[in-house]
Amino acid sequence: MFEQVVFYFFAAVLVVAGALVITVRNPVHAALCLVLAFFTSAAIWLLLEAEFLAIALVLVYVGAVMVLFLFVVMMLDVNLVPLREGFIRYLPIGIGIAVVVLVELVVVLGGDRFDLLPAPEPHPADYSNTRELGQVLYTVYVYPFEIASLILLVAIVAAIALTLRRREGRRGQRPEEQVRVRRADRVRLVRMPAVRREGLAEGGGGRAAAPGGETAPEAGE
Amino acid sequence: MSGVAMPAFAPIAPEIVLAAAACVVLVVEVYGRSTDLTYRLSQASLVLTALVLALNFPEDAIVAFSGTFIADPMAGVLKLATLVIGWFLFFYLHAHLRARSRARGEHFILGLFALLGMMVLVSAANLLTVYLGLELLSLSLYAMVALDRDSPVAAEAAMKYFVLGALASGMLLYGMSMVYGATGTLELAGIGAAAQDGTDLILVLGLVFVVTGIAFKLGAAPFHMWIPDVYEGAETPVTMFVGTAPKLAAFAMAVRLLADGLWGLHGEWQDMLVVLAVLSIGIGNVIAIAQANLKRMLAYSTIAHMGFLFLGIIPGTGEGFAAAMFYVIVYAVMALGAFGMIVVLSREGFEADRIDDFRGLNERSPWQAFLMLVLMLSMAGVPPFVGFWAKWSVLREVVAAGFVWLAVVAVVFSVVGLFYYLRIVKLMYFDEPDDEPPLSVASPLRLVISVNALSVLVVGLFPGALLGWCLAALTGG
Amino acid sequence: MSLRTLSLLIVLAPLAGAVVAGLFGRFVGRTGAHSVTIAGVAVSTVLSFFVFKTVVLDGAGGFDGPVYVWGEAGDLRLEIGFLIDELSATMMLVVSFVSLMIHVYTIGYMAHDPGYQRFFSYISLFTFSMLMLVMANNFLQLFFGWEAVGVVSYLLIGFWFKRESAIQANLKAFLVNRVGDLGFLLGIAAVLLVFGTLDYASVFEAAPGRSGATLNVVGTAEWSAMTVICLLLFVGAMGKSAQVPLHVWLPDSMEGPTPISALIHAATMVTAGIFMVARMSPLFELSEVALNVVMVIGALTAFFMGLLGIVQHDIKRVVAYSTLSQLGYMTVALGASAYAAAVFHLGTHAFFKALLFLGAGSVIIALHHEQDMRRMGGLWRHMPITWLCSAAGTLALIGFPGFSGFFSKDGIIEAVRHSELAGAWVAYPAVLLGVFITALYSFRMYFLVFHGEERVDPHAREHLRESPLVVTGPLVVLAFFSVVIGWPWVEPILFGDYFGGAIVVAPEHDVLARVGEGFAGAGAFATHGFAALPFWLAAAGAAVAWYLYIREPGLPARIAERFRGAYRLLVNKYGFDDFYGAFFAGGTRRVGGLLWRLGDVRVIDGWIVNGSARAVGRIASVIRHVQTGLLYHYAFAMILGLLALMTWLLYGGPAG
Repeated sequence: MFEQVVFYFFAAVLVVAGALVITVRNPVHAALCLVLAFFTSAAIWLLLEAEFLAIALVLVYVGAVMVLFLFVVMMLDVNLVPLREGFIRYLPIGIGIAVVVLVELVVVLGGDRFDLLPAPEPHPADYSNTRELGQVLYTVYVYPFEIASLILLVAIVAAIALTLRRREGRRGQRPEEQVRVRRADRVRLVRMPAVRREGLAEGGGGRAAAPGGETAPEAGE
Repeated sequence: MSGVAMPAFAPIAPEIVLAAAACVVLVVEVYGRSTDLTYRLSQASLVLTALVLALNFPEDAIVAFSGTFIADPMAGVLKLATLVIGWFLFFYLHAHLRARSRARGEHFILGLFALLGMMVLVSAANLLTVYLGLELLSLSLYAMVALDRDSPVAAEAAMKYFVLGALASGMLLYGMSMVYGATGTLELAGIGAAAQDGTDLILVLGLVFVVTGIAFKLGAAPFHMWIPDVYEGAETPVTMFVGTAPKLAAFAMAVRLLADGLWGLHGEWQDMLVVLAVLSIGIGNVIAIAQANLKRMLAYSTIAHMGFLFLGIIPGTGEGFAAAMFYVIVYAVMALGAFGMIVVLSREGFEADRIDDFRGLNERSPWQAFLMLVLMLSMAGVPPFVGFWAKWSVLREVVAAGFVWLAVVAVVFSVVGLFYYLRIVKLMYFDEPDDEPPLSVASPLRLVISVNALSVLVVGLFPGALLGWCLAALTGG
Repeated sequence: MSLRTLSLLIVLAPLAGAVVAGLFGRFVGRTGAHSVTIAGVAVSTVLSFFVFKTVVLDGAGGFDGPVYVWGEAGDLRLEIGFLIDELSATMMLVVSFVSLMIHVYTIGYMAHDPGYQRFFSYISLFTFSMLMLVMANNFLQLFFGWEAVGVVSYLLIGFWFKRESAIQANLKAFLVNRVGDLGFLLGIAAVLLVFGTLDYASVFEAAPGRSGATLNVVGTAEWSAMTVICLLLFVGAMGKSAQVPLHVWLPDSMEGPTPISALIHAATMVTAGIFMVARMSPLFELSEVALNVVMVIGALTAFFMGLLGIVQHDIKRVVAYSTLSQLGYMTVALGASAYAAAVFHLGTHAFFKALLFLGAGSVIIALHHEQDMRRMGGLWRHMPITWLCSAAGTLALIGFPGFSGFFSKDGIIEAVRHSELAGAWVAYPAVLLGVFITALYSFRMYFLVFHGEERVDPHAREHLRESPLVVTGPLVVLAFFSVVIGWPWVEPILFGDYFGGAIVVAPEHDVLARVGEGFAGAGAFATHGFAALPFWLAAAGAAVAWYLYIREPGLPARIAERFRGAYRLLVNKYGFDDFYGAFFAGGTRRVGGLLWRLGDVRVIDGWIVNGSARAVGRIASVIRHVQTGLLYHYAFAMILGLLALMTWLLYGGPAG
């Protein structure tokens, strides 16, 4: 009974939060609503004794993905007005289609499909959800798991390839070069013998004094 | 350790080799100095993978990795074809990029992963692997389209491809979840056993979504809208990458999901595919007429070809699937050649993707014009080119299955389609070129495009081997 | 080597030559192109001779079997296969030999043409197609060769595609041949329908058993299947062998560009129809209706086309009409069931007509491409070799006893005389009068060109000399054969068992056997020829020609003036061209114009092209304002598609 109350509470919050994600005007609010939706679904998973998944959901989605997402939304400062221009215009037909799809889904999936199954026996306290998951993940599902890892690799490669740009004439620090620099690279000692130029004594007309060129400063070593 | 035995690695060796090779190439690309090296290594990995596959060619169906992976003759043939086509794809890609002196290794790395995704998809025996293979393939392709960062058209194409692809993936996933819900298993063999009677409405609903996903990947109407835009927007060799080899994988996906998994609903998916086939053949052939951009025209021709591919799947017989497989391989080779011809004609700053760019090609280069003639006639389905046999074999199967009207519709529309293929021929041979200089093509490229185009002729003259191979792969005899 | 291997080599050698010359022409150069094509055809010729020796001379038996199975369609096997028997061995030898001569001659004739390599590629390809045609062992391959020959001939006639007349001529040849090909294709379809196979051997084997079969062609009328098949196939032959009324393309194709292409048509391509009917003799023998039609059509062609030759001024046109007339003779022979005589005449005609063409070509070269006979005359002093060779050709053509043409033509005339078919009542007088006419136009040409006063353009006269060796060489060779080829072959071919089982003649139609009853050797045959009616008719024709063009050169013009109506009729070629031009071409253009206005302008331009342009414009304007509008549309369309499928399948489809 208590479980059901908890379930319906979180379920209700989840549905409301989900609806808000696509209806609120402010994208930051929408993202926050999504965070709420993740939290509540994590709670429902906890009820199902899927503790590991629940924690993973919170950690990965809320902790990493959504924070990043919020960050991007705030940084880009998307102007939403033009994006929403057609919203009202297309809303009726959108709703119409949605209702038809919903009705069809309800007819197929509805009612008798959702007969409550008897709740499974609760697992003993020392049952480790994580261990069970890990066991199938690395044995039965090792092949899909590896493919998933390749997908992530592709995502990394793609992200870097799409964003990394070697622009010409770009200025920037190169710390490794700064660290590796030696005195000789930066400082050039110039030895200048103290020679008195004869032309100076005559005053003016230094240009004409051709020998002056020979006594020009010599570069040091 | 629990009681799970070590999986058999032999059947999956080609995938392992390709994945490892892709990682090696990635490292070489990061630390290496020349893109040429990356290209050569990529080609070498394909050859190596093909060798491993040929040595391990699956004679019978072997299921490995707890029912997530299957190696059977169909997978073997399709993988081999994919790898061969992949070799050509890399060649054209390299030629194209080098001509613009912006060769980048990422193309090849993403290409390798895309090919790996295709192989995974071809060998999928489980809804999970189907989905993951598809995503590996699609993600690599999205990125490849977007790699041409300086072109706003390419960015737009990548955006459309990505969003619509994600939508289609979502639909496919939704359908899979319903299938899972109705049958309680992810394994295709198990689904096949559980869904034998096929009266469950949830299964039917799931089927609709699954078929939608397949139709999107193949590019069948009415889920074809991304094709023209992506084909036109992407760089030509990337278009080629999107338009050739993945069709093989998508065909395998269709066979795995529909024939292996949802065989119990044969009647239902047959009806759906009939509708999709008619729409695709009609829309593709008619709209292609009005195109002025060759890549766009080929995009609509693809849509029509995918309709023909469905004709082979519709009967649901081994012979039908074999005909469809023959069709898809042939189509991939023909499309490879047609896009390859655009690569051949293009140069820095001139993409040669307008139909008018082929005007008077015969005077500029009779040999290239001849190759294009072969390709266009083959695509149109004119004997003795292989395109004729491809059309012929699927039509024969669809007639044998009792859909005479469907065959008639297909033939009528392919006659309509003849028009736009012949228009290219007419432009090449009977029009004057627009002050273009005679075409000079680098000899390796000329050799490869010649091999590519002439294979269409040679296989057309000797279709028995490939056709028999496809038949043996799918009927076991 | 087995016959199978030999046959493959014979076919593939010219193809290889054509490929090399055509595709790598720039690479191998002019010398390379003619060397490789001539080598290819020479290989074919030598091997053909070998095959001929094996099959015909040694009687070692032929070959019939598939070489490659191209595809299977249900029970129907589509094969490439060869049938090598006496008939095809003869044809192979004729085709490859004449082609070889043409190849050699082309070196001289085309020496200064920029399309040298292309031309060699074409004529080699032509040889290949023609060989495929005659060596076929099934209707499909026959059709392939048939069409391939048609295509190459289209290319050859239009070889100088910058000339308006060449373009017109090749279009005409193409269109007229399409009419014939339609009949041919329908005939093949009828064969498939009746026999269920396209293999010669099976069809011929089954044919006698199906002679009573009927086909329902129009309405409920039942037509004899054999008659329908034979008539349809003959329509094809009429197109390719230029029989009335599908003859109009041949003279134009001669008038057009090169005499070589003219020759390749006259000596080889047009024989395809004759060959085909001879090959189909087991079918034609079963339908007397078809035989009668064949004979009458042939007779009409032989007589009326010969008449046209009298009024032509273009030297090549005269030869062209003479070709038409001779083809008529061959067709008459086919109709009279004297297939052997037809093929014999085909062979001898190939030699002497090639000779006449090359002679004409030699004259044309010498006169710097002057083709009008009114500006020739008296050339015998300047071109003795050409003159003598042409004399031999002319005598052979008119059937002077002892020359090759005599044996074959006299054989035909005798065969028709003995034929009991109704059509012979028309055909016999026609072929007899044809002899007179043949002699008249042949000697008219001969006298106008080589004798009488010199009307040559003074400028051309300065350079007037005998043609080079590559031109005269083939002339001499051909002249030799034109003279002697009849002697050794008349007996085995006409009256012996030369063709073995390759040609089937029903006993009641076997006219040649009746002719042969009185045969006592070639010498006696020739001697007897001096006393027969045809010789005197020919002599009369020659005499009239001499009188009109040497003795009284002003007379022809007066005759033409006197009988202006008849003359105009002949000059206008009986009005065939005008009729076709006005009725078919004009009518088609009108219908096309109508369709163009309705279909193209309104539907395609109005709706599809302009409509889509408008649509593209609209979409473009949408994109300009809302960049993502299109993407939404796409996604929306996908969802609609999904929804439609879902609704249909759940509620309307079989599951609902």
